[in-house]
Amino acid sequence: MITQVETKSRVKEYIVSATLSDTKDVADDTLIFETGLLDSMGLLFLIEFLKEEFNVEVTDEELLPENFESVNNIIKFIDSKL
Amino acid sequence: MKPFSKDILFLENIDEVCNNIITKLKNDVYQKLQRRGAVIGISGGIDSSVCMALSAKAFGPEKVTAIMLPEQDSSDDSKNLALKLANKFDVNTLEENITQALDGFGCYNRRDEAIGRVITGFDPKVDKAKIEIKQNINKNIPAIFSITVIKPNGKVYSKLLPAKEYLQIVASTNFKQRSRMSMLYYHAERLHYAVIGTPNKHEVEQGFFVKHGDGAADVMPIGHLYKTQVYQLAAHLGVPQEIIDRTPTTDTYTAEQTQEDFFYQMPFKEMDLTWYGWENNYEAEEVGKVMGKTTQEIENIYKSFERKKKTTEYLRMRPIF
Repeated sequence: MITQVETKSRVKEYIVSATLSDTKDVADDTLIFETGLLDSMGLLFLIEFLKEEFNVEVTDEELLPENFESVNNIIKFIDSKL
Repeated sequence: MKPFSKDILFLENIDEVCNNIITKLKNDVYQKLQRRGAVIGISGGIDSSVCMALSAKAFGPEKVTAIMLPEQDSSDDSKNLALKLANKFDVNTLEENITQALDGFGCYNRRDEAIGRVITGFDPKVDKAKIEIKQNINKNIPAIFSITVIKPNGKVYSKLLPAKEYLQIVASTNFKQRSRMSMLYYHAERLHYAVIGTPNKHEVEQGFFVKHGDGAADVMPIGHLYKTQVYQLAAHLGVPQEIIDRTPTTDTYTAEQTQEDFFYQMPFKEMDLTWYGWENNYEAEEVGKVMGKTTQEIENIYKSFERKKKTTEYLRMRPIF
């Protein structure tokens, strides 16, 4: 069973590598859309990553800022789906 | 700065606006581009209709060739309205059906294969399909497309599009705009004419065009005009009322699809005003009061505009060297 710490680390690692960012620029509460880290294609690739990595499927109704706007929110969302 | 109002985009002196565009169009084509007339693709939509009317006034109808470029997914309305428009302005038309070219590119097969991977049992022979953004623009999250399939019995299946399939569908359907562009340039070169591009201000700035497709042209006479202003010009120039009354569609997918569903996420009248507010740094509170929306809603729409402009920068870029 994957721990929340591991999940967070993998999500962060993904965002850092996908956006060619510095690790320090992706904090747990960084607003990833507000700061321009991810655009619509970035979000689409993130959704693909969640499916491949955690087998988490996203529906249209779940496309809400509260589920995706920061690493913390993404982790909460993954938890709610597992 | 003028106080923000619902009439802020109204063109006071429409005659002068039209004459300025016509003068500039003549100068651009004859002097800058050194061409002797205009080729324009007409679809029965408001933008291409206004551009054709302006071209007819600028060069004279005898120096304008209007080309209809249907393919198997085009609606019959498009052709009928385009013909009505050309007749009204006495402009010669040609019809170039691009279905076989698209078939050769594998446009339909590649698109349908991707749809079939997402919606099990999709039958392109009888089912209708389209892609659309279902999220509300007020959500403050980047827009993601869904695929919607409509069965002959009216049953609707809709699913969020995974990245791979979304990209394949868009890349396939973009053959349509790029094939049209090839055909327009064939005729333009054959006649030593310029290609008149039809995008309006929103299409240019929000990136609602295909790079090297409908985004490729020699001159874009309405690229600086908001959609409501394009409608104002249409009425002034005498564009047929059926074209003015028609809901703007993409005429790209087999299922009916408005431009609002596909891209803009809000009615164009609201979009025009909000875009003007955003572009001219009006406070969200002032715009919200006029539009009947909360400050937060307007702020979210501003953010969405900002995102769209930024993410589509690539489409407007010239090759880097």
